[in-house]
Amino acid sequence: MSRPTTRALNASLKRWPGWLLLVAVVVVALAIGATRSSGPMTDGDRIDSIAQRLACPTCDGESVYESQASAARGIKQQIKRFVEEGTSTDGQIIQYIQTQFGTKTLLVPNASGFDALVWALPAFALVVSIAGLTVAFRRWKLASDTVPTDDDRAMVAAALALEGELEQADGS
Amino acid sequence: MPDSVSDPAPEPEVLADGAAPSPRRVAPFVVAAIAVVIAGLFWILIGANTSESDTADSPLLGRPAPVVKTTTLDGQPFDLQRRKGSWVVLNFFNSTCVPCVQEHGELAKFAQEQSQLGDGAEFYTVVWDDNRGAVEKFFADNGGSWPVLTDDDASISVAFGVAKVPETWVIDPYGVVVYRLISGTTDDQLTRLITQAKAGS
Repeated sequence: MSRPTTRALNASLKRWPGWLLLVAVVVVALAIGATRSSGPMTDGDRIDSIAQRLACPTCDGESVYESQASAARGIKQQIKRFVEEGTSTDGQIIQYIQTQFGTKTLLVPNASGFDALVWALPAFALVVSIAGLTVAFRRWKLASDTVPTDDDRAMVAAALALEGELEQADGS
Repeated sequence: MPDSVSDPAPEPEVLADGAAPSPRRVAPFVVAAIAVVIAGLFWILIGANTSESDTADSPLLGRPAPVVKTTTLDGQPFDLQRRKGSWVVLNFFNSTCVPCVQEHGELAKFAQEQSQLGDGAEFYTVVWDDNRGAVEKFFADNGGSWPVLTDDDASISVAFGVAKVPETWVIDPYGVVVYRLISGTTDDQLTRLITQAKAGS
């Protein structure tokens, strides 16, 4: 490719709002990722995915899937039994373990009741901070948009005149 | 670099009386909001249940006990459903757990006393994540002639939500869970709780 053509391409790319393309790619990727079916799961996959959503009741920050603690191994065996019976949904199995061991066993908090605050508060804080920043930016913009008064103009004119005089004095 | 500590920046908004009064108007509200939050936290603290209780909470309390269908160490079938009509005490146990070893003598005393009563509670040990050989050796060394229930697939411990041992559960003659005791217990405590429960039922 000759140099002028490359330069023209670069120029057109610079003019083109690339970030728009970036946003489009991210949105499409997220949409595909969120809706894509991962295909049929084996029993083992299902057991693992449920175990990954539950916290080991006797460990700190470990899932039932990772933990080798007795309680976690017991829960894994129970999940296996439920999955092999094939009569319970993932939600029902998690609900059962949560009922027996308490809500601390949930790695992903509930989206209802008091636990919903975990989801709602950050969103609320985000909205409030965006609103606050918008108000602040607008206020700053309004403050900076003030029209110069006659006094301001006179002050600038005087300063420029003084500068001109000094330059003339230096030149002569 | 200017010394900002010894020469603090002037605060015209606050100092100029009446010139920019908004911070003064907002401050009382901010203070009031913080005071309300702190008062709320105190309220929660005061309302917290600090009464010392012998027993632990569980969603199973007051509800029918989970299914316990298994075999004893010597191969006898066991079904909790068939124990209705008797008070049943289940003790989750592991031979390597120190509090389990420590409470063993008390449990032996309790089981002995109850077996001599006409309407005494039936006492059972549930093996929690332990191998049979170790449990059999423990009972041979330390005594205890009550039935020991196996839980090889952990279904009983998960159904009761047992995360650590020892744990002791009391089930009434209707098959309803009455008490859950976390950590070691004593003969006195178990006897007192069962007497209380019998008086209340």
